[in-house]
Amino acid sequence: MNKPDYSDVVMRPKLVGKRIKRTEDLRLLTGTGEYVDDVQAAGMVHVAIRRSDRPHARIIAVDAHAAFDIPGVIGVYDMTDFEGECEPAVPTSRMKDYYATPTWPLARGKVRYVGEPVVAVVAESRYAAEDALDHIVIDYEPLPFAIRQVDAVKDDAPLLHEEAGTNVIVRREFVRGDVEEVFRTAPHKVGGTFRMTRKCPSPMENRSYMAQWDKRNRALTLYSASNIPGVVRDVLSGCLGLSSHQLRVIAPDVGGSFGGKGSLYSEEMLVCLLARKLQRPVKYVADRLEDLAAMSQAFDELIEAELAFDDEGRFLGLRADVIGDVGAFSIYPWTAALETVQVISFLPGPYKTEAYHGRIRGVLTPKPPTGPYRGVGRPSSTLAMERLVDMAARKIGMDPAEIRRRNLVRREDFPYRTAPGIIWDQSAFLECLEGACAALDYPALLDRRDAMRAEGRWVGLGFASYAELTGIGSRISVAPGMPINTGTETANISIDATGVVTAAFGVASHGQGLETTLAQIIADELGCAMADIIVLHGDSSLVPMSTGTYASRSAVLGGGAATVTSRGLKAKVLRMAALLMEQQTGDLDLHDSTVTSRASNQSLTIKEIAKAVYNQMGRIPRDQREDLVFQETYDPYLGTACSSTHLCMLEVDPGTFGVRILDYVVSEDCGRIINPMIVDGQVHGAVAQGIGAALLEEVIHDGEGQSVAASLADYLLPVATDIPDIAIVHIEAELPNNVGGFRGMGEGGTIGAPAAIANAISDALAPLGVEVNKLPATPDRLFALVRAARQDKPPAE
Amino acid sequence: MKPARFDYVRPDSVDQALDLLARYGGDAKIIAGGQSLMPMMNFRLVKPAVLVDINRIPGLEVIEDQGERVRMGALARHRMTATDSMIASRIPVLHDAMHHVAHMTVRNRGTFCGSVCHADPAAEIPMIVLMLDGQVEVASASRRRVLPAAEFLVGSLVTALEADEMVTGITIGMSDPQSGWAFEEFSRRHGDFALAAVAVTLGVDADGAIRNPRIGMTGVGETAMRMRGVEALIDGCHPDEDMLGEVSEWLNDNLVPNTDIHAGADYRRHLSGVLAGRAIRAAYARARTLRGKQDE
Repeated sequence: MNKPDYSDVVMRPKLVGKRIKRTEDLRLLTGTGEYVDDVQAAGMVHVAIRRSDRPHARIIAVDAHAAFDIPGVIGVYDMTDFEGECEPAVPTSRMKDYYATPTWPLARGKVRYVGEPVVAVVAESRYAAEDALDHIVIDYEPLPFAIRQVDAVKDDAPLLHEEAGTNVIVRREFVRGDVEEVFRTAPHKVGGTFRMTRKCPSPMENRSYMAQWDKRNRALTLYSASNIPGVVRDVLSGCLGLSSHQLRVIAPDVGGSFGGKGSLYSEEMLVCLLARKLQRPVKYVADRLEDLAAMSQAFDELIEAELAFDDEGRFLGLRADVIGDVGAFSIYPWTAALETVQVISFLPGPYKTEAYHGRIRGVLTPKPPTGPYRGVGRPSSTLAMERLVDMAARKIGMDPAEIRRRNLVRREDFPYRTAPGIIWDQSAFLECLEGACAALDYPALLDRRDAMRAEGRWVGLGFASYAELTGIGSRISVAPGMPINTGTETANISIDATGVVTAAFGVASHGQGLETTLAQIIADELGCAMADIIVLHGDSSLVPMSTGTYASRSAVLGGGAATVTSRGLKAKVLRMAALLMEQQTGDLDLHDSTVTSRASNQSLTIKEIAKAVYNQMGRIPRDQREDLVFQETYDPYLGTACSSTHLCMLEVDPGTFGVRILDYVVSEDCGRIINPMIVDGQVHGAVAQGIGAALLEEVIHDGEGQSVAASLADYLLPVATDIPDIAIVHIEAELPNNVGGFRGMGEGGTIGAPAAIANAISDALAPLGVEVNKLPATPDRLFALVRAARQDKPPAE
Repeated sequence: MKPARFDYVRPDSVDQALDLLARYGGDAKIIAGGQSLMPMMNFRLVKPAVLVDINRIPGLEVIEDQGERVRMGALARHRMTATDSMIASRIPVLHDAMHHVAHMTVRNRGTFCGSVCHADPAAEIPMIVLMLDGQVEVASASRRRVLPAAEFLVGSLVTALEADEMVTGITIGMSDPQSGWAFEEFSRRHGDFALAAVAVTLGVDADGAIRNPRIGMTGVGETAMRMRGVEALIDGCHPDEDMLGEVSEWLNDNLVPNTDIHAGADYRRHLSGVLAGRAIRAAYARARTLRGKQDE
């Protein structure tokens, strides 16, 4: 393994790489953070929303007469009240065979899923607004619908958006090599149907919005629990007919997202329209039932996949036919391609697979739209691929670690172009596998498993190796021609007259600790004390163009922008210092907020330099004076691979079919680590989320289109007792070719954990001939699988 | 998720509370721990016009040792029950059951009597009350009565409590110090409602045969259940594979559990047999140990 190149590192103590406590935690952990629901304004009114209880129906009439008898009710609005006041948000794309569904503030003409907003009540309190909901009568004409994707995809299925002419609004296909021939001649094949059921992101803070109309400037401020405030500003100003300086979107403290707050929502449009109409501040805070019903959801693909391989376990070909259930709308700005297409573009994973045919159809169904969710597409694709790999190993009697070892893309193969066209730049694929094996002493682990099995216990081991593309630059788009640029990040760093460093970014931290990590980078690059730095983020007015924090981009792009901008600003500081000190800039160093000269004993603090530049007239010649402000945009152009291997051992109770995880290790390569404490926290949290997806969480719609896991009593999130100790191995291989050498790593745990657990349960149940290809692996599902395998003989203890 | 409008009164005595119930009847609801009531109000599944808060009434937050029985006052919190040393030693099956009752924050406020009044068919406490000959003390402004748990628990979330009545306390029988006990529960996550739970107390005679078994189950029917059929099946037997197989069979033939999104009826029937087998074995082993100590 090559040592990382630290040749540009001067021998001073660095903050990057240190376990520094998060500076935001003082306010967040002591209850002094400010979330949207904490934002107050004089005269503020509250919104409650009557949501559709029908999966597909025409809205005939809305009778809100009786609602006005409730004390405190100010107004009741349906979509007809906003006609002419707004344009829909349309997630356009150049993709062939794609239809962009329009998003309106309320259901327009039809409802298309249970939970869709239909009528808004505005009242003096949320209590009064909710009282009024019961008094609104909506007359619906029921329309036919197909709730399952296998039905909705059929030619004669009832159409959800007639204008599209089909329910299949996304089609993509990737082909490399003569796949038919490979499968015809391959010595071995394995295949199956793989399914990661629908999930809800479920951040601790529900979606919350507050819009305030400023009569004086004829401008709106929207406080939004969003991780994409810049995107929301750009699209909403267009929808509302405002110029962008008339709309400012602020994401104050945001209590998690997991992707769920990374899209535009009807409710954001709604509060803005109401605030402008009523000329009063308008607040809407979704409750848990509403977010479980109407926040963007995840996964829900049906994956038919097959792997061809030879006697040596070498992969020859891979093919997959995928139907993605995208829900009722193509989400803004990501489009319905976001989740679906990534399943086939990442299916080959970190393996060399020359022949490939992947096909996806994204189909509309009357359910909440799918959107970003930590891991996007790859939890599904990794489940399918890693199951296939284990099935292949079992078929030829090969160790699951060995078959991976033989197929992972190796150091000499980088950069490796996968069949769907993704470039793996350089990442420690193999080293992560070996790291995981070493951490749990794999041979001893196998012995332990076998010893427990000999006692009649159902114990199994499971691997998941994967790679994801992070920190993606302007070369690669989620959906070609989509309405936003995700590939650049701008930083504006200034030193004010008192010597304080203010660093403004387009990112929007909602739990990642970016106020800490970006400050660590700036402190190192600029040479100032961390305590002198304020990081601003989550506000559309900070930099000219911003999109936010998502897709494991903020460390790479935000960190890159922090680096290049700090360097530009440092050059300015040194030029001013050189003038003040009458030294050459080449002789000057800036560290700990102090400029020192290697050619003299002089030194000046940043504070003194700032004072001289801004306040002391005449100290710097007029024509050479520069403001201590620098702005730069960073674009990594391509993306960088972040890779990992998860390995777990677990036990299935032969009586209850409960699953207990015994050992868990994550071995990962995220490039240069900015703050190990934050990286560990991301891994722990993401693995916990992945365990939830693997064992507990499932959004279920019944045949009538009703969501039956409607509250947190039925949509089961993992709790502390479900999470094992998680060991973490950091592999520091060659750094990626971007500024800073960082890779994005916030999503990986949710990608690896479901596949590792599915493999481990399948291993535990292998003596019974049971394979787990659908998650979550609930006790009831495992019971049914085992019973079927035993031909309806009830298992004895 | 805001409750409908309601009035709130906080009486200082049981008599005042009963007067309020007499005045408002079915429009009023007693609030003690509120751990089930408040979510139901927030979901607007219930819309009481008046909440009668009994939390400040002195004398209700008690667990009393009555010799043969234990009396749980109307405000005995789960936390008190779970940590009470007398219960741990004299009714160990209840002590073990408390490990499965919700989570710490819920246990700090939720009450023993409230759980019985709520009568959730998957809750632990109603089942223990039923199994240990619980007597429910019921009062209204005009009368007092004591109902056996079997009469009090009518159905899923349904009790024999009249609109103007409140539960002032519940007594349960102490366990025979010679009896073995076990509590087995399985739920999707720790602290969730049981997919199935089994409580067992039993003694053994000099020949090592089971005597005086009591078996309670929850999560597998419309109410908590005392399984007299299983008790009859195992009374006088030595627990072996055949006997436990018969228990599983009996449960499979007689239980009519619900199917919901967490588990189907078939699974729940299967699980009942598994848990009953484990609980009977564990209780038997304890009883043997206790008997062995006595014989020494």
